[in-house]
Amino acid sequence: MAKSMIPKLPLYPFVLSAAQRVIEVARTPDGPVKKLEDYPVNKLANALHPAKQFLVVRKVIEHSPDMKTYVFSPDYSKGTERLAYFSAGSYLSLNYADENIQFTRPYSLSSSPKKSLSNHYCITIKRVEDGIASNYILDHWVEGTKVVASAPLGDFTYEPLRDAKHVIGIAGGSGITPFRSMAFAIADGDEDFDLTILYGSRAKKDAVFTDELLKLSETCPRVKLVNVLSNSKAKGCEQGFITADLIKKYAPEGEDYSIFLCGPQAMYEFVDKEIAKLGLRPKFVRHELFGEYFHPEKNADYTGDISGEFTLTVKMAGKTFTIPAKADTSILRSLEAAGINAPNQCRSGRCGWCHAQLLSGEVYTPASVDGRRIGDIEYGYIHACCSFPLSDLTIDIPPVAK
Amino acid sequence: MEKYDVIVVGAGNGGLCAATTCAKAGYRVLLLEKHNLPGGCATSFVRGRFEFEPSLHELCDESTNPRMRSMKQIYADLGIDTKFLREEMLYRVICKGPNGYDYRIRAGKEGFLDSMEEACPGSRAPLNTMFELNYLFDAAQIYMDDCGGVSGMNPITLITKYGDFIRAAGNSTDKFLDALGMDDKTKSLTNTYWGYLGDPPRDLNAMHFISLLAAYVEGKPSMPYDRSHGMSLAAVKALQNYGGEVWYNSEVTEFLYDEEGAAIGVVANDEKIYAKKIISNVIPNNVLNLSDNKFVKKSMRKLANARKLGMSIITVYLGLDCTMEELGVDDYSVFVVKDPDANVQYDQRKDMGLYIVNCLNKTIPDASPEGTCMLFFTIPSFDGDFPENLKPQDYKKYKNALAEKYIRDYEELLGIDIMSHIEEISVATPVTFARYLSTPNGTIYGYMSQSWDNVINRTVFKDLENKVKNMRFCGGHSLRGDGYPSGFITGEMMANEIIAELKEGK
Repeated sequence: MAKSMIPKLPLYPFVLSAAQRVIEVARTPDGPVKKLEDYPVNKLANALHPAKQFLVVRKVIEHSPDMKTYVFSPDYSKGTERLAYFSAGSYLSLNYADENIQFTRPYSLSSSPKKSLSNHYCITIKRVEDGIASNYILDHWVEGTKVVASAPLGDFTYEPLRDAKHVIGIAGGSGITPFRSMAFAIADGDEDFDLTILYGSRAKKDAVFTDELLKLSETCPRVKLVNVLSNSKAKGCEQGFITADLIKKYAPEGEDYSIFLCGPQAMYEFVDKEIAKLGLRPKFVRHELFGEYFHPEKNADYTGDISGEFTLTVKMAGKTFTIPAKADTSILRSLEAAGINAPNQCRSGRCGWCHAQLLSGEVYTPASVDGRRIGDIEYGYIHACCSFPLSDLTIDIPPVAK
Repeated sequence: MEKYDVIVVGAGNGGLCAATTCAKAGYRVLLLEKHNLPGGCATSFVRGRFEFEPSLHELCDESTNPRMRSMKQIYADLGIDTKFLREEMLYRVICKGPNGYDYRIRAGKEGFLDSMEEACPGSRAPLNTMFELNYLFDAAQIYMDDCGGVSGMNPITLITKYGDFIRAAGNSTDKFLDALGMDDKTKSLTNTYWGYLGDPPRDLNAMHFISLLAAYVEGKPSMPYDRSHGMSLAAVKALQNYGGEVWYNSEVTEFLYDEEGAAIGVVANDEKIYAKKIISNVIPNNVLNLSDNKFVKKSMRKLANARKLGMSIITVYLGLDCTMEELGVDDYSVFVVKDPDANVQYDQRKDMGLYIVNCLNKTIPDASPEGTCMLFFTIPSFDGDFPENLKPQDYKKYKNALAEKYIRDYEELLGIDIMSHIEEISVATPVTFARYLSTPNGTIYGYMSQSWDNVINRTVFKDLENKVKNMRFCGGHSLRGDGYPSGFITGEMMANEIIAELKEGK
């Protein structure tokens, strides 16, 4: 018998512990295993992040023929009872289908987080040239239209441990929507920061929500709105573009401030150059989603032929499709044009929902919207929403989760 | 006829390894994953300029005996090619309070013994015995494997030759370290890793803990260079090379059985998919809930209901706009404890009893862009610790307050400024893990490996419990308990059992 190095430890607990297992199982009464959704942590997870939210348009508010707000409530008939709470600045990925069209698009929530607790969500949509989805919505959605939404998504939210106490919000066009939500969240006491919105428009009539936000700032001095008009003059408004000097004029003196930007791509291109002059640390400058990428050929590192037409072979959970794909069109858009429902949320290269494996061929991904992980690049994965074919391709992309 | 020989449900570490092992053996394999990415917690996420490692602290990828399967061997055999960087320092442990201490403990057996001897004079002898015993534990487990499981073992041989294995396997870590004659301080430092196994030393199985500690010390911890996401994609690549398929966004919504209760397939994407064998990387609780009750054995239900859920974690991921030198941090892994007694650390876990802070840039200098670094806080959270009635509208404030408390504590402890450098922050809680892993209360590995549900008993009862014909379970909820290696090892083990059955035409 081998000499023990730990003779003080008894041998019998080994058997005892095994016996205890038999006893513990035997004395547990038989009954159904608790359902996942009945655990409190899972309940909260489902409340904050439901897989889907079925919505119905309850009201349409027309700001102008080109800009409307859609008020949603839950579609109780489909089983949605409560709308998920969110952090101001979040967006919904909306999926809509009828006999004419099917699309999925991200839209910022323009209503306050607090109102979601009484089952009220708003999105505000502006007409854009060539905007397939936005134009269809503006022309066709009415009271009673049914839509399927994701949970609230995104990271264009105020983070108190990260951001400065004072935020300069730079908005253009419908880019005012997340700031409207933030303004209400501050007034409701749900967020704790000062917000100065520099709202760029052509003329005052284009600056939706102005009256409402000005009124809000009377009772809530932490929120301030400055209209910046590029093509006209109006009392109490700044005239011109949003420049470094203008930002400095409204920034708090002698203390840190964060800049949040939300607007069209042209605005980012202009304002980013102005912000660069301010010499702020990157942590103090945050952009909302860039939006869909067009014209990859404008980049110096683009090596393809933008008029190219290719064949895209798509493997999707055991099925294979072959569809046409143009060099100037993102893979996601080519899939959608062929009627293939592919997963997507942000459509800006950031969220990774359209993660796909590139099995053969080459694609171009603009560096500015390349939000892939290191491993994706190493092992040949792409984000379909901002990858453009340079040759015939074979990809493996999952179906939209049920 | 079945289209597949094997369907593996869940592409966590266990599922990836099981699927790849079966595919390598020439079987037609389908791996089904509910997310759009492989890996489960072995993944990564991007915020701004930073790519965060979501759950892994350090891989214990080598075993202390070449005949014991290690992750490194499994990966090599499966042809999974991915780069790891090794850490020379095991950990720094800072104990607060009047009996506090602050030590750095080196990896590698000699380094470990030296740094322990410096910290706790006289500790070399008992620790040496601990390592000697671990070699015996390895030999005992190899003997058990060679006997083909519990039924083939000779209990007399086990007791006469491997008596100390039986002693360690039946007793707690506390009792074991006492039997080695360790003083309190040596015990305190030796117990530093208890949180990795999610059970305080008074309950933690000694054999389980010592084998983990010895493997970390002797093998030296390592980290995947391109995050766990790269590691998981490398496994997918190997699986595909052997002809296996992976379907993402394809959640299994039902497990299918024949009239005798043998597993025959699953439902995913509203489609019935049949296979000869099923391997579940999904926790038994969920499988039972996705199975028609008439096929579920009463004993399995009772076992699931008798077990305690394992730990979850609260994590704070920080991307900082300064280097780790500028920040004043120079360790990869720092354990901060409130009391030297690990059992008290467990009891005070809701009051900062234990937290861990990792700085990946120490091990992987280019883990984040030049001029930046990343910090990763981990706070254990056990079943029932998370506030039951937290409202959705209070969640953000709750998690930020929690994050701030730990960040401030660490700032004060090291005399550094973290707060003003935060460029990106993300806070995950059991709610995040519940959402991402779909496990009860967000448990990350499955069940607590507490007294009677320790890993030894799980192995002893393996052939008697969880017996569904044509089905196996792999992952942390399976035989080996918490930790990444459990997934790899049980994945391979269950795949080999399935392969043996397929070969015999069973």
